[in-house]
Amino acid sequence: MEEEQQTFVSKARTAFHSAAAKAERVLLDFKSDREDHDKQSSPNTFTGQQPEAESPHTDENDSKLHSESKHIKWRPPHLGIKQDWQDKIKNIRRGRKEVEDTDKVGDASMAIPFYDDNLYLLNVKNDLEAKASEAMPSVEGLTAATKDPIPPSSVLKQLAIAVEAGSKAKSMKDVIASPGGSSPARERAGLSLSAVKALVLREKEDKLTSEFTSNEKVVQLINSLFDPEGDFLRRKIDSNLEETAMTSLPRDIHGAPPESLVVKLAEILGNYKTLRKMALFWCRVVAELRKLWFEEQYLPGVPQDEIPDLKSCLLYQQFQVINCCISRKRFRIIATESLDSMMMQANSDIKESTDCSAEASASPVLYARLNSGELVLRLGADHPAGDMTLLETGEPVYSPITQEGPLLTEDLIRETEEFVLRTGSVGAGCSQLLSDMQAFKAANPGCILEDFVRWHSPPDWTDNEASTEDSDVFDSGEPLSARGQLSRRMQKEGNLWRELWETSKPVPAVKQAPLFDEDLAVEGILNAFEEMHPSDLFGQLFVSLLGLGFGIAEPMLSGNSDFSKLFYDCKEYIITACQNNKLNEKVDGLVQVYETVEKMLLNPEEALKMIKQTEESTTVTGEPRSPFKRLSLIFGGKDKLLRKSVSKDQTNDEEKSGRQSFSSFFDSKSSLFGKKPPKSGSPSPSEKSSIDTGWPVV
Amino acid sequence: MNSSSGQSSGYDLSFKILLIGDSAVGKSSLLVSFISNSAEDIAPTIGVDFKIKMLTVGGKRLKLTIWDTAGQERFRTLTSSYYRGAQGIILVYDVTRRDTFTNLSEVWSKEVELYSTNQNCVKMLVGNKVDRDSERVVSKEEGLALAEELGCLFFECSAKTRENVERCFEELALKIMEVPSLLEEGSTAVKRNILKQQQEQPQASEFGGCCS
Repeated sequence: MEEEQQTFVSKARTAFHSAAAKAERVLLDFKSDREDHDKQSSPNTFTGQQPEAESPHTDENDSKLHSESKHIKWRPPHLGIKQDWQDKIKNIRRGRKEVEDTDKVGDASMAIPFYDDNLYLLNVKNDLEAKASEAMPSVEGLTAATKDPIPPSSVLKQLAIAVEAGSKAKSMKDVIASPGGSSPARERAGLSLSAVKALVLREKEDKLTSEFTSNEKVVQLINSLFDPEGDFLRRKIDSNLEETAMTSLPRDIHGAPPESLVVKLAEILGNYKTLRKMALFWCRVVAELRKLWFEEQYLPGVPQDEIPDLKSCLLYQQFQVINCCISRKRFRIIATESLDSMMMQANSDIKESTDCSAEASASPVLYARLNSGELVLRLGADHPAGDMTLLETGEPVYSPITQEGPLLTEDLIRETEEFVLRTGSVGAGCSQLLSDMQAFKAANPGCILEDFVRWHSPPDWTDNEASTEDSDVFDSGEPLSARGQLSRRMQKEGNLWRELWETSKPVPAVKQAPLFDEDLAVEGILNAFEEMHPSDLFGQLFVSLLGLGFGIAEPMLSGNSDFSKLFYDCKEYIITACQNNKLNEKVDGLVQVYETVEKMLLNPEEALKMIKQTEESTTVTGEPRSPFKRLSLIFGGKDKLLRKSVSKDQTNDEEKSGRQSFSSFFDSKSSLFGKKPPKSGSPSPSEKSSIDTGWPVV
Repeated sequence: MNSSSGQSSGYDLSFKILLIGDSAVGKSSLLVSFISNSAEDIAPTIGVDFKIKMLTVGGKRLKLTIWDTAGQERFRTLTSSYYRGAQGIILVYDVTRRDTFTNLSEVWSKEVELYSTNQNCVKMLVGNKVDRDSERVVSKEEGLALAEELGCLFFECSAKTRENVERCFEELALKIMEVPSLLEEGSTAVKRNILKQQQEQPQASEFGGCCS
């Protein structure tokens, strides 16, 4: 990335130097023309100008600035005086247009410097765009890649690089800003040309950023990613696979379900070549999420009404919360409209009743009759609660529509728990209980606490007929005591349930203050997305894509007698590695394991050779085949294989180049699998010792 | 290091325990009985509550944070948050009410499967109220069989008479300490707490020694 940045700066510097040189030539030409004109004109016309023209200029910069100033002054009178200037200016304008239309250089000699300048900048721009075009992933490219059985390891490797690079960055904004920024020293110099250079450079950076987000390929990727009907990035997943196996691996490694929004996002981001573009695409995704939330549209590839799955990664949990909040908002709108229309119906029923002296129709509107004979409207009643009836009035008990509890992702759960531990607060439980009591009162006019307890906490009520306890309560003929009684714990003095009951008012759930504010929750999530640390984002995406690859590969390899053992060793390794913390230290090893699985699928012959070599090594040393030692031998063997291949004369250039590239990647990273084996080809006791010491099994 | 941490925090390991089960099976009574020898009626839990107990088992000083949950269905979403990270989960039923035993396999073991984030957490089945033997409807053999099926430890006890109460929690703690990953978590929690305390102390001195 540094090399690319340097190249860009270098080209920019060259462009500016060229522009400066051409500008000087233009100025010289103007000066020459002015001198010619002086000879023709009368002295009176330019008397005021001559002292300036004749004054000496020892400083070069002053000379330049002064010349520019003169140029500006001279232009208007020349326009009015000489037809020659008019013709020249017309040529210049026509020349520019021709460049735009035909990309050709005009004939006018005066216009040549401008043509060169524009042409050069245009070429630079074309070069940049061409490079960007080559590097940028597209819908077509990614769709073609889905024909591979599992995502290419190069995509996972790019995410691994991003995880490592991201851990060194302070924030996502730092990543986006890092290639640009003019030097403070240059700005401080104050030279006009330097200042202009800095300004143009900054404008170019802004232009590149906005160009990225409005780039056609980026827009298409965003549209495909969020298309709820599309099958973008869908791969064949063996439907014969046991449900348990397919769903368990992503959760074991704290990833995301296959074909979820998170996994697709991981695959797209892994195809970008620079960390900065990955960060820019993520910002574009966050903007789209804000738009969907504003429009109350569901996120595709995420369940619409499920509470967060704490075994999935935090990003997936947060997506679940967004969709769940959309569902709740939609439901509240429907429930509120239903309640309002019911109340209007009740009002009109009352009018009809008054006018016609007829009884109110009860079919769409629910009433409860009090002991006094008065009819009271039931608000927020959902459905009858079995065959329960109110103790005092004998009316049926209705379960109310109730508010739902908070939607907590793992980070908020941790915060909530710490808060409760620190303060001893039982506020959340009390708020919910109070909310339920108010909803119950609104739906069941004439109810008492005992009715609520029978509905909310059945074990705390004992019917007399069913009671097997020796009861001290005498049957005094009271209706209440004849029916049953509250549990002893519920009857205790100072019981908070009774206090809350007496505090509560009849208010239906949709009219209550919300227990959980969806707008606040989602705004918090979207802000967290904007502030998310790069290593957190790319780490979650890395693990999710890893899970997808293994999930797809499992049914293909588990039945293969040659590969199933190695595959399950690899799977066990990734589960262990992902369940621990410190993902940054393990991404390289995980990429290598993934490459092994990829090889088993795409190059089974080569993989088979590797396994046989490993088995031979194991047989010679007589070591038991523990999973991690096998993996250590495998990667040791792979290294040897690479060196042998490189040393062969028959290796063609392309293959050699590829292997060298991989070899350099391998060498440049400290290996999780310990020291490199000795150069001798055959296994030996010393090699065994080296491998043992290099691979500690935790 | 170990000695230093011991001096600093007063305990070696810190574990989170969760009590779940139907309403009115005696979860809160069990907890209060363990903490303070009390045997009186406990008002129904509203949402969640917790108690902290220091315990010495197997030569180690433990800090147990024991979360008590309301068993009513309406509180289930609220209480599901507290499964996260628990090293031990106690599923309680009432031996005098068969539905509380049936719900262990129909409801509560499914809740554990759904919300527990600790694959290796230790689970224990506890049948409470054995002091009411004349009203017993769930036999010990049935309890043992279900515990074996669910992969749980098993105890019968009485919060009222305190029969087996301490033994339940001690046995659970010992089993947690036998699981390497849980032992690691318990140790990590202590270190994190020490670090937090150390960070708070300089701030106190910055305020001119106001330590109240």
